[in-house]
Amino acid sequence: MLPAMLPRQLDLDPATAYPKITSLRTALDAGDWPACRELLDAADPVERTCLIDAVSDEKGLEDFLRGVLRGDPGDGTAGALLGRHLAVAAWDIRTDARAVHVSREQFAAFRAGLVEAERVLVDAAARSPHDPAIWTTRLLTARGLQLGLSEIRRRYGRLAEIDPHHLPGQQQMLQSLCAKWYGDVAQAYEFAKEAADAAPAGAPNPVLLAIAYIEHSDVVTDTDRIRAELREAAQRSVWHPDFRRTHGWVQVMSTFAMAFGVLGDHPAAASLFDALDGLGSRWPWEYLGDPATTIEKFRARAGGNA
Amino acid sequence: MIKRLEVDGVPAVLAPASGPMHAGLVFRVGTADEPLARHGLTRLVEHLVTDGLGVDGQQLGSTGAEHTYFHMHGSPGEVADFLTGVCAALRNPPAARLATVRQLLRGTPPDRDPLPMWRHGARGFGVASYPEWALGKLTEEDLREWIARYFTRENAALWVAGEEIPDGLTLDLPSGERRPAPAVPTELPVTPAYFTSAGGAVAWDTVVRREARAAVFATVLERRMMNDLRRRDGISYQPHTEYVPRADGTARILAVADALPERQDAAVGGLIDVLAAMRAGQIDPDEVATVVKLTCEGLRDSELRGARLPGQAFNLLSGREVQSLEEALAEVRSVTVEDVTEVAAAAYQAGLLMTPTGSGADWAGYTAAPEMSENTLPGRAHRGRKDRSLRLISGDDGISVTGHGQVASVRWDECALLLAWPDGGRRMIGLDAVTARVEPTLYRGADRVVREIDARIPARLRIDMPPRDRAAIPQPVAPHREGTWRERWRPQLFLLLFGPFTLLGLTGVVSVLTALGNDGRLDWQALLAGLGLTAFFGWLCVGAIRELLARRAARRR
Repeated sequence: MLPAMLPRQLDLDPATAYPKITSLRTALDAGDWPACRELLDAADPVERTCLIDAVSDEKGLEDFLRGVLRGDPGDGTAGALLGRHLAVAAWDIRTDARAVHVSREQFAAFRAGLVEAERVLVDAAARSPHDPAIWTTRLLTARGLQLGLSEIRRRYGRLAEIDPHHLPGQQQMLQSLCAKWYGDVAQAYEFAKEAADAAPAGAPNPVLLAIAYIEHSDVVTDTDRIRAELREAAQRSVWHPDFRRTHGWVQVMSTFAMAFGVLGDHPAAASLFDALDGLGSRWPWEYLGDPATTIEKFRARAGGNA
Repeated sequence: MIKRLEVDGVPAVLAPASGPMHAGLVFRVGTADEPLARHGLTRLVEHLVTDGLGVDGQQLGSTGAEHTYFHMHGSPGEVADFLTGVCAALRNPPAARLATVRQLLRGTPPDRDPLPMWRHGARGFGVASYPEWALGKLTEEDLREWIARYFTRENAALWVAGEEIPDGLTLDLPSGERRPAPAVPTELPVTPAYFTSAGGAVAWDTVVRREARAAVFATVLERRMMNDLRRRDGISYQPHTEYVPRADGTARILAVADALPERQDAAVGGLIDVLAAMRAGQIDPDEVATVVKLTCEGLRDSELRGARLPGQAFNLLSGREVQSLEEALAEVRSVTVEDVTEVAAAAYQAGLLMTPTGSGADWAGYTAAPEMSENTLPGRAHRGRKDRSLRLISGDDGISVTGHGQVASVRWDECALLLAWPDGGRRMIGLDAVTARVEPTLYRGADRVVREIDARIPARLRIDMPPRDRAAIPQPVAPHREGTWRERWRPQLFLLLFGPFTLLGLTGVVSVLTALGNDGRLDWQALLAGLGLTAFFGWLCVGAIRELLARRAARRR
């Protein structure tokens, strides 16, 4: 592969596409909670959930946010960020490996971390029942705590009441419905289809079909039908004239690109790599190994030349 | 207007009401007064006394945790006959009917609510969680003693919903004394707490101060559960709460979220969220206003029907004065959203949650209620048959049964009940509700322990159970071992297979060395071969021996 052929060096840092992440990190580093609130309060709901997720790995958040909550237990945004921070830290202990590859000690620490996160989130949800970021993370904790699919569905129901097209939460719900967790291919596809169909034209939600395929590509054999279905999903989403480059668009396109790449639909993948113009997301590419290397490989295979 | 009277020395409340006359006689006694080894006695008295009175199939009495009453709707003549008859039967219980009534009661066991046992142990309010094991052995003597203690003039109150006390009513009761409210000890070291129960229901209870605002909270909670669990989530069909005032000035609030088995996880999560929201003060002022209005309407309606009278009679027994409708209305009307929030926080803090098996609530900040003993009592240990990790320990303090991380200890002086089977099986239930199951089939020489238990536990605490099915008698089982038989026997096989080769090698070395003395020449090849053989097979055998030693040590531990 000749680097000269590539339009731009691959950039997987979400902050490149979304500068607000950098502003939010700066405010957090400065311990300026009012500035954080101003930034998050001004964001639209999906952007807010994504921003909270994007900065949840910041060091030292726990002490800082517990301090904020002591001052105002009703600060749902602080609760949402603290809950996310604790939950993500717990999942980092567990790693993304399948259950058989996770040691007993890892599981114990994972569970303890999730319990801590969930206790924060129970209270946050009680005080701010209409915060989609809180319910999105509560879908993540419910999955790890093995609270059962009926409880996960209840939580998703609460989220859908607030925002029926909240993609970050839908992605969490879809994960739980995957065969590797508590569902199967049929349940995952059914959920993805319903959410995709319900979303307005040009919305990012049809990407759920691409995720459903990626999660089950080893068992799905009817590739022609899948390809047609994914192309149709892309038409209603990333290829639709109304598709907006709002927060999350990179991961949506990147996910479609990976699904088409895995399917061997090179022209479709190429169009998305072109549109991404060097941007990319680590997830879901990290399923296939190092994201940067894998993306380069698939990009070359697709022959994109924007 | 409720009138306060006295009838034959029994305090009474009287108020006119719509419809036929309704009257009742209540005694300050219930299951919370029964020792576990006498559980069922109050209900037996209730049924024996009303046996043959009134019309068949009519509900004439009721046994609660603290109050037992006899009541009748009908003409003044019928009411007078009935209550006079009850008192006569209490004076002279129809002993001839004892066996028949006992059979009837066995066929209609009361609903058992597991929560009180977890909160209060195997005594007081906790007794109602247990089966009425004692029914079969209760004698006429037991009945007479119980009646003499509790069914007395001083321990009774009367209510009459009608124009006047009916003519011909005579409350000829033996004299005794007013019995105080049962003590309410708790076995929960930390709350909010939870336990799991195979029964499958999702329920929560709490203990708060007995106040109008607590009753309002209970109704607000029910409406919230109805809204969230039924209307929004479709998890629970008939979620409900109960507010139960108690004589000691506290009240129990019970919340139940029924759910299909596949929805129980969501019922747990939904109930936890409702309780957390109310604790956090997410209470709609309009909702409180609505509940206050409905409660007031309910009170007015009850007043018209005379339905407030039983509660007022109960109050007389705990030394409370009659509360007029106006006073009751004023108390309810004064309840604010802040009051309800305060009760919600206190209620949450004292809560006990019951979740289905497999679920739990530690993730929501609830602490697991203790389900076993903290300590193993000292004494002589009997090792388990086959499963050598089991221990049955008998000592001067009591019995402990241990194994697989579980400890069940019951002290001789804190044994609430002993169940004894003819096959030697014994079950000791401690006052803290810990149960020590002594199955002599499972331990070595356990017959001696059974004899000790039988000698230590007085007959009044012992219930002899009918013979068990052979299948119900547990048999010793070897603990489940990980791995296959091949792994289990690997060291022995190694020794069997490779031991001879090691010996052969050693013999070779020795013979080569011995030959050295004869002709002075060393057969190096033979020596090396012998040493190699010894080292290689010896190494395999050493591994096997070490494994066997480690296993022996593990068993000793």
